[in-house]
Amino acid sequence: MASAWCWSCLSRLRPTTRAVLPPPSAIPRLTSAPFHSSAVQYAPPLKKKSNSMTQLKYRQGQTLRRKKKKTVERARPPAPGERKALRKRIILSNPNALEVEGMQEISAENIVDARLRGSVLGLPVPMLDQLRAVQAFKPKQGWSIFRRPGAVVRRDTVEMGRLFEKISGEGDAAEKGKVVKKVVTGTKGSGKTVHLLQAMSMGFLKKWVVVTIPEARELVSGDTAYVPVEGSKPTQYIQPGATSALLMRTVEANREVLSGLKVSQKHDIAGVKPTSTLEDLAKLGFQDPALAWPVFKALWTELTASAAAPGMEKDFQTRPPMLVAVDGLAHWMHNSAYRDTDYKLIHAHDLVFVKHFLSLLRNGQAEMKNGGMLLYATSTSNSPGVYALEVALDQMTARQAGIKPTSPEYPSAEAYSNADPRVLDLFKPIEGKEPQMELQTLGGLTRDETRGYLEYFARSGLLREPVNENWVGEKWSMSGGGIIGELEKLGRHVRSAAIPTPAAN
Amino acid sequence: MACGEVHSSEKRCCRMISPAHRGQASIEPSINRSDNLFSGKMVFILGVNFPERNLLKKSLESFFGIGNHTSSRLLARFNIHPTCRVGELANKQVLDMTAVLSDMKIENDLRREVLNDIKRLKETGTYRGRRHALGLPVRGQRTRTQIKTPVKLNRMERRM
Repeated sequence: MASAWCWSCLSRLRPTTRAVLPPPSAIPRLTSAPFHSSAVQYAPPLKKKSNSMTQLKYRQGQTLRRKKKKTVERARPPAPGERKALRKRIILSNPNALEVEGMQEISAENIVDARLRGSVLGLPVPMLDQLRAVQAFKPKQGWSIFRRPGAVVRRDTVEMGRLFEKISGEGDAAEKGKVVKKVVTGTKGSGKTVHLLQAMSMGFLKKWVVVTIPEARELVSGDTAYVPVEGSKPTQYIQPGATSALLMRTVEANREVLSGLKVSQKHDIAGVKPTSTLEDLAKLGFQDPALAWPVFKALWTELTASAAAPGMEKDFQTRPPMLVAVDGLAHWMHNSAYRDTDYKLIHAHDLVFVKHFLSLLRNGQAEMKNGGMLLYATSTSNSPGVYALEVALDQMTARQAGIKPTSPEYPSAEAYSNADPRVLDLFKPIEGKEPQMELQTLGGLTRDETRGYLEYFARSGLLREPVNENWVGEKWSMSGGGIIGELEKLGRHVRSAAIPTPAAN
Repeated sequence: MACGEVHSSEKRCCRMISPAHRGQASIEPSINRSDNLFSGKMVFILGVNFPERNLLKKSLESFFGIGNHTSSRLLARFNIHPTCRVGELANKQVLDMTAVLSDMKIENDLRREVLNDIKRLKETGTYRGRRHALGLPVRGQRTRTQIKTPVKLNRMERRM
């Protein structure tokens, strides 16, 4: 029982305790003078402290030790690749969304129709497989909220459609076989990737050959094999795995076109017969990655050939124009994650694959004799931030505005900024007959296009607001002047935000 | 008992054969190579078997004496990308890698060297040698708390 007295108070009760002690004769005398004069011997034996500190061995740790929790057996982790597949999954249809009545499909005829501006054109179902093959759809895009995939027609789309017609030779014959080179930029959410997708869909409609690099980063991030080219100086590197993947994409998407064209040049590749089609040729690169780059080169010479080699004219057909679409250009403008044998970083321009596609920007007309379009888009969601590229794009903007490179207003890299000269050289003005590359900056939609776009949300059942002039104007302003990515956010969020509120008046 | 032995040896046989069987299945040409690329075979690098699926860089770092610095330099020397799997190596690359590794001072050679260094310190009676022998920190750390590691490692007969 706990005493009401504290220990110090109890010590004062000595006289009474002494009284109950046995006679002093039995007690041995204490030699030293204790602080307490009560007999030590009669003190109750010390209780062992419950604290285990006293039992610690020499230099044993004093940290808290707990028993480890038994691990509970959980379900097996997902199989290798399963999580990635889930992450990269692309859903193109939502059966809960309403079907939009009277929705038109994109076709070879209506791509130039300016009356369709602001309306959303559906992508034809047979083309979806092709677009999937060239990885035109990205996982984070909002395809899964609508019944079927479609893209809005804007001013840039119609202009692009006209270019496709011209290069295919349907309008002005003089424009046939021209190469249009564009660097597509724009703020975040301005629809650069979807612009490329629309270009690809037009390419498929016009029976062009579509070659895409959906993620420029994958070539420089050090995730695929690289092999030095012997005897090259400075050393160049081939990427067999990435080339093989490119061939697969290209064949899968352009099977119809490639299987109709026969080999017309002589190649030093085993397995190529004079009767084999371009599809057969490209397939050689699938199985053996070591062959992938030579096969790609061969395929490229075939596709850009304007005439057959002597003795092989029999089956020669004119080659279609080509569309080359690259997404995430900035990744090609700095050092890659690969290292050379001296452990120095390899510049992206020293990778043969990258170099091939970048050289098209400089001399695409000379290399692509059958014409075509080069669309190289920058990315704002996945961009390494290359100063030299920013300067180069500023210079391009200035040139397009009519400022001459000799003028003091012409932008240049800041002193001591260490801007990459290889990048600046790439975007220098081109001399000679070769057409200049253009900078296409995607901005916002106009108000009319915004209205059409938001009406599409409403007709799909996502938006339950009356789409009228005022409301559209408000959303147009809120989206930073019709930035389509912001409009999409507004369109899909309004539904959850539309809680019934008391009438304002 | 005899019956049990037979069974166990059969099982062992099956286990030894099965990877080869799986390997044969993967020879067929397939477009989707990522599924069939790793068939569960093992790759032999410097006397150690590594599963094909393992990252080469991590596998190299499993050797005593090879860390991030050495392994990434080794990869660069042979032009192998950092995310390469063991199974993606060509035979020649495996042989080259093994040849280079066998010239390096790693594993038991390195362990022996470190132990010899400590032994020398002890034998010459240096302060550091004494601290090693006493199970105390060697490099001037305080000993009031937190000396678990030297207590664990530094002893007369040091092992690595």
